[in-house]
Amino acid sequence: MQICQVNFLPHFSGAALSNVVLRTAGPSIAAAPKVCLLHTSNQKSMPYKMPEHGGKVRLGFIPEEWLQMFYGKTGVTGPYMFGFGLVMYLINKEIYIFGPETVHATVAIGLLVYTIKKFGPSIAAYADRQREADLVQAYSSKNAELANLAEAIEGEKKEQWRLEGRSHLFDAKRENIQMQLELEYRERLQQVANSVKGRLDYQVDVESLRRRMEQQNMVQWIEENVLKSITPQQETAILDKCLTDLKGLAKA
Amino acid sequence: MATRRVGAKVIDWAAFAERVPPNQRSQFNALKTKADALKAKLAAVPEKPPAINWDAYKKTVPVAGLVDKFQKEFEALKVPQPKDTASVTVEGQEKDMDNKVSKFVVESNNRIKQYQDKIAALNNMVPFEDMTLEEYFEMYPNSKPNKEKYPWWPHFPVWEL
Repeated sequence: MQICQVNFLPHFSGAALSNVVLRTAGPSIAAAPKVCLLHTSNQKSMPYKMPEHGGKVRLGFIPEEWLQMFYGKTGVTGPYMFGFGLVMYLINKEIYIFGPETVHATVAIGLLVYTIKKFGPSIAAYADRQREADLVQAYSSKNAELANLAEAIEGEKKEQWRLEGRSHLFDAKRENIQMQLELEYRERLQQVANSVKGRLDYQVDVESLRRRMEQQNMVQWIEENVLKSITPQQETAILDKCLTDLKGLAKA
Repeated sequence: MATRRVGAKVIDWAAFAERVPPNQRSQFNALKTKADALKAKLAAVPEKPPAINWDAYKKTVPVAGLVDKFQKEFEALKVPQPKDTASVTVEGQEKDMDNKVSKFVVESNNRIKQYQDKIAALNNMVPFEDMTLEEYFEMYPNSKPNKEKYPWWPHFPVWEL
């Protein structure tokens, strides 16, 4: 931005005006005429950024631009001669009168300068540290916010991706239904076959039972008839035969 | 008949499990156990019942013509397919889900857009070094001291910290 370039100012009032402008507010700097800008460091992001460093000064308080103003017309000693002459003039014409206040002012200014020189740097360092800490905190919170947002986007996308997989769920449900239907069908087939088979088996069992009973009855009937057919005569003959056999065995 | 119905679509359980949200994991597991149990049961039941040996029965069963009658009727018997009443419900659920999902996707995309806008705003903002206090308060309104509500320093509810 060209706005922040320091221009050489050939007149005095501009410098005073620029001081006022710089002290009052940020945005007004942009509105101020270029020629009025003094004591501005070379900044890139005006009007957002306020000058961090003051302009160049001589003896701690005389702006460099004032001296530059003299150089073109009077040479390098001109400003000093002017300053010295001005002071001399003021004293000579008794515009400035020496008095006890002069001593007071000298001591006060001296103390002021001493204090600034002594404590200024440490206070400035403290302020800088504070500012750094604030910046670090601000940036860390900003980064956390960015990370949160990125995570939120990621989460939304993941949720959408998950929902895209719902076909799996419904496929599984349908498959389950089909499996249950198939199972039911197979069980029905099984049941029909089993009941038919059971009835046939019953017939077979009935038949085999009938045969077994017939057999048993037959055996019983034969037994009974055989026993009935044995006469007492035959029985005694058999007993005698048995006794003779036993005797023969005892002898031997 | 059986192969046509079951397994028409092979379910990729691994891919399915990947997409299940963590809070619905137990429901998913229940579904999976159910499916597995059904599958095992289905595998245990043969597709066709063991064939009846009609010839052997013909020899053993004494009642004349009974086996033939049975065979004829058994072969003529058509076992009815069980009626499918659950598919309609699932179909309805799917349609319902489709509606909800399409609504959710629109909302979700809106939210993503909001987040992206916020990210862009954060990335394009004036760096904190160059910011004025007013701009900072504009960005983070909560950090602005509310002097009307809390007239005493430090102008925020310390007791709520």
